[in-house]
Amino acid sequence: MGGYHLKVAVSEMWRERWINLLSALSIAVGLFLIALAVLGVYNVKIVTKKLPERFSITVFLKDGLSASEVQEINRAIRKNPGVKTLTYTSKEDALKDLKATLLDSDYVMEGLEENPLPASIAVGLRRDSVTDSSVEALARKIEGLVGVSEVEYGKKLLRVIESVRKGSEFAGGFLISALSAALIFVCYSTVKILFYRKKEEIETLTLLGATRWFIRAPFLIEGGLIGLGGGVLSSLAIAAFVYAGYRKLAASVPLMGAFSMPPELLYWMPLTGLCLGVAGSLIAIGRIKF
Amino acid sequence: MDNIMISFDGVSKTYGHNPAIRNISFSIGKGEMSFLTGPSGAGKSTLLKLIYLAERPDSGTIFLDGMETEMVKESQVPWVRRKIGIVFQDFKLLPRTVFDNVALTLRIRWMHEDDVKPVVHETLKLVGLRHKADSYPAALSGGEQQRVVIARAIVGEPSVLLADEPTGNLDPDTAAGVMRVFREINARGTTILVATHNRELLKSTGNFIFRLDGGSLTEEMFQ
Ligand SMILES: Nc1ncnc2c1ncn2[C@@H]1O[C@H](COP(=O)(O)OP(=O)(O)OP(=O)(O)O)[C@@H](O)[C@H]1O
Ligand SMILES: [Mg+2]
Repeated sequence: MGGYHLKVAVSEMWRERWINLLSALSIAVGLFLIALAVLGVYNVKIVTKKLPERFSITVFLKDGLSASEVQEINRAIRKNPGVKTLTYTSKEDALKDLKATLLDSDYVMEGLEENPLPASIAVGLRRDSVTDSSVEALARKIEGLVGVSEVEYGKKLLRVIESVRKGSEFAGGFLISALSAALIFVCYSTVKILFYRKKEEIETLTLLGATRWFIRAPFLIEGGLIGLGGGVLSSLAIAAFVYAGYRKLAASVPLMGAFSMPPELLYWMPLTGLCLGVAGSLIAIGRIKF
Repeated sequence: MDNIMISFDGVSKTYGHNPAIRNISFSIGKGEMSFLTGPSGAGKSTLLKLIYLAERPDSGTIFLDGMETEMVKESQVPWVRRKIGIVFQDFKLLPRTVFDNVALTLRIRWMHEDDVKPVVHETLKLVGLRHKADSYPAALSGGEQQRVVIARAIVGEPSVLLADEPTGNLDPDTAAGVMRVFREINARGTTILVATHNRELLKSTGNFIFRLDGGSLTEEMFQ
């Protein structure tokens, strides 16, 4: 492949500029959608990782434990990896908290002879150790300790977060592969059309003694450049989308504050376009017979 | 065998039920210039196609420069064809400039661009088209197009030149000019086979003339 092939490819591209422009645009749209899917999956992952930071296990203690027994439980829990903080709440503090929450409605508590609330330990967890199964295992372990009456944790919440993450990964993966296949097809059909239009020309080249790669080269360059062009366009579009549109959205929707874009995406898209373009061309040209 | 460039041995070629070449045997020596004549549909183009591997014989064997064409692997075809210059009856010019059309023969052989330019211009001068280098074939007369095809066929200094009706669109003077070019190339060692029904070309040529009729070789004469 030399300057000659590049020259032929570029002049052929110019000759067929409308069909090529349309292909580049469809590739741009496709890659843009793929990038949105990637952004979606990426951000769901970030959000689901951040949520469990506020997540903790609450361990309710039996009544009448001595200070050293509480210490013992504390020590036993702390031994587990993934445990970040332990916060002890005594029976009295629990009652105070409840009263503070009830405020004026504390008549509910009147006539109560003894404090019905149990003492508890809030176990804060490290972010990376929070998964459905690991939390459950930890809870079981704590439940088995002497002096512990009950262990409570957001089982359902964890399950939901986990399934949202898995679901988004699956849907995103599906979307990305479907769109990639569509894009390869776009490159394929563009080059195929050009290839059929030049069937006679290719036959002449073979009669003059051209090798297969000599004939293929301009088509591959053409497909690659179309893909690259589409990729650059989609990069510009996604950058505009993120930096202009999304910033406004983030300001108004609270959860969106966590939204972000991996900067690699901006050069991955042209690169992906290039590869898809070359792949499509290669398939379209197929076997050249002599 | 050493001094034979093209030889046919009992070669037949049928298109469907239409026999185009029937049991033909002949040979052409290295460095010779020969003519192939006969009425329209006699099988002249088909015979040339068999030589440049665009068609394969149904039976019989063809030797090109000591090599049996049926034994040539598909991947070797480009290298065999680079030894042959072809003037196609239907031109087969690409929608590129005259220069690029002629240069194609050299670029296919990966000749360096710096060397391509002088060789192409030299050849265009030989066929009287130096001033048309930047024109497109569509903007040329039939005779000019035909000379571009001739330039493309000879620019690579092939060992064999196959010319299918190379003067079909030329006035007698231009035709004579082309034949002068052919003789010059022939004198430099290229084996030439010209298919034509132009009787003028066949007069007192001092060459072999093969006459085809209905796919059979009916006459072989030296004039
Ligand atoms: N591709 C093809 N398919 C079917 N029949 C063909 C094909 N090419 C040639 N023929 C037939 O083979 C016979 C010989 O054709 P050919 O082109 O070799 O004749 P020719 O001598 O070159 O004629 P002309 O002087 O008109 O160029 C003709 O009857 C033609 O119809
Ligand atoms: Mg013919």
